[in-house]
Amino acid sequence: MTIEHVVVVPSALVLLPEYAGLEDPIPELRRAVGQAVSWLVERHPDEVAVLSVGVRADNVARGVTEPVGARIGRDLLSENGFRGRLVENAAGVLVVANGTACRGEKAPGHLDERSFGYDDEIEDALRSGSPKVLRDLDTALGEELWAHDVPALRALGELVSGSVSSELDYAADPHGVKYWVARWTCAS
Amino acid sequence: MTLKLGHREFPDDTALMMAIVNRTPDSFYDRGATWAEDKAFDRVAEVVDQGAEIVDIGGIKAAPGVEVDASEERRRVVDFVARVRSAYPDLVISVDTWRAEVGRAVCAEGADVLNDAWGGADPALVDVAAEHDAAIICTHTGGVTPRTRPFRIEYADVVASAIADTTAYAERAVVAGVDRRSVVIDPAHDFGKNTFHSLEVTRRLGEMTATGWPVLVSLSNKDFVGETLDLPVGERLTGTLAATAVCALAGARIYRVHEVVETRQVVDMVWSIAGRRPPRRAVRGLA
Repeated sequence: MTIEHVVVVPSALVLLPEYAGLEDPIPELRRAVGQAVSWLVERHPDEVAVLSVGVRADNVARGVTEPVGARIGRDLLSENGFRGRLVENAAGVLVVANGTACRGEKAPGHLDERSFGYDDEIEDALRSGSPKVLRDLDTALGEELWAHDVPALRALGELVSGSVSSELDYAADPHGVKYWVARWTCAS
Repeated sequence: MTLKLGHREFPDDTALMMAIVNRTPDSFYDRGATWAEDKAFDRVAEVVDQGAEIVDIGGIKAAPGVEVDASEERRRVVDFVARVRSAYPDLVISVDTWRAEVGRAVCAEGADVLNDAWGGADPALVDVAAEHDAAIICTHTGGVTPRTRPFRIEYADVVASAIADTTAYAERAVVAGVDRRSVVIDPAHDFGKNTFHSLEVTRRLGEMTATGWPVLVSLSNKDFVGETLDLPVGERLTGTLAATAVCALAGARIYRVHEVVETRQVVDMVWSIAGRRPPRRAVRGLA
């Protein structure tokens, strides 16, 4: 299957409707995510593949069975008008992954200065459309920096070859976690 | 059920703050602080600013005291209601009165709710509510005379009595022509009740909310709080808020209060615990 379009969104639980408060703590992120997913749905109304990591081991121990990325992916697609099928392999891919969670004293994983360089590398790759950089990401360091989704970014790097036209719509860490919204158009 | 309070409607998942505004020289809590009309008007401005949806204006203290006849009660509240109506078109105005002739006069000036704290002592009050499309609060007093203190009152089952009397009053109001969405029941803590009765009504408030009628609770700084904690007026806020939390969990819809801000926080918190209100802004563990 040749990949044609890719959208990357964060695996933040706060995107799920069951965790909505009266005020949205991430309005800009949500807007960017919605626009990017709509963009993907317009181009692939029939089939989309969601790429995310499995259930984290500690959550498996708590009885969780469905990966959060799969939940978020399915929900975002549905919210943005997708009525097609979710499949293993498709020309349209929604990647649910974000960067480190150690970008400040109040970040979920506290401050680890190594986060900034690690996230910069991913951000450059998403901005410039460089699958090779994603393919070579250091998974072990990612785990140390609470970037549990890195295997999904590496898998994206494996899936895409050839030239990529890319747009980075959003890049910020409003709660100490690095979020990106990126859109890739891949040469066939 | 949607709650219709005069010119305003509120969906069934909302809890409302009814702020007490006394036009009396002798009420137990404020002791005449808002007796002067301008002071009472300032109090309205304050509670509106604090987010109260309703003001409950009263011209007679509940406890025994100086006789206030109907003409004096009208002097205290009617023009004041008109002034508040003019200044705050969206505010729900309730008037705490048991007298139909006072009710008629305040409704003519734009009052939305008649808070009959004495449980139907004047049977014509429901007709006034019906004539003016006003809401009515149906309270339980155990049949005592207005402005009397309970003395050796007993019930086989105080909650059963409260439910029977308030729902009968509610049905009577509907038969008289009051909109079913504009009828509220109130167990009336301390009214015709000793402290044990008020505690039991609080503990079993869920039986009242289960009737389907919207429930108002008036707990603020009352004697049952004072006796339970052995605290004088002025030191009863914590106890009031504890009782408020229990009533909120049971689903009481309207809270008649002196302290709007504190009560709102407690009710919002309990509403969220009960799963009826999302948190204001949630990020912890979700980023």
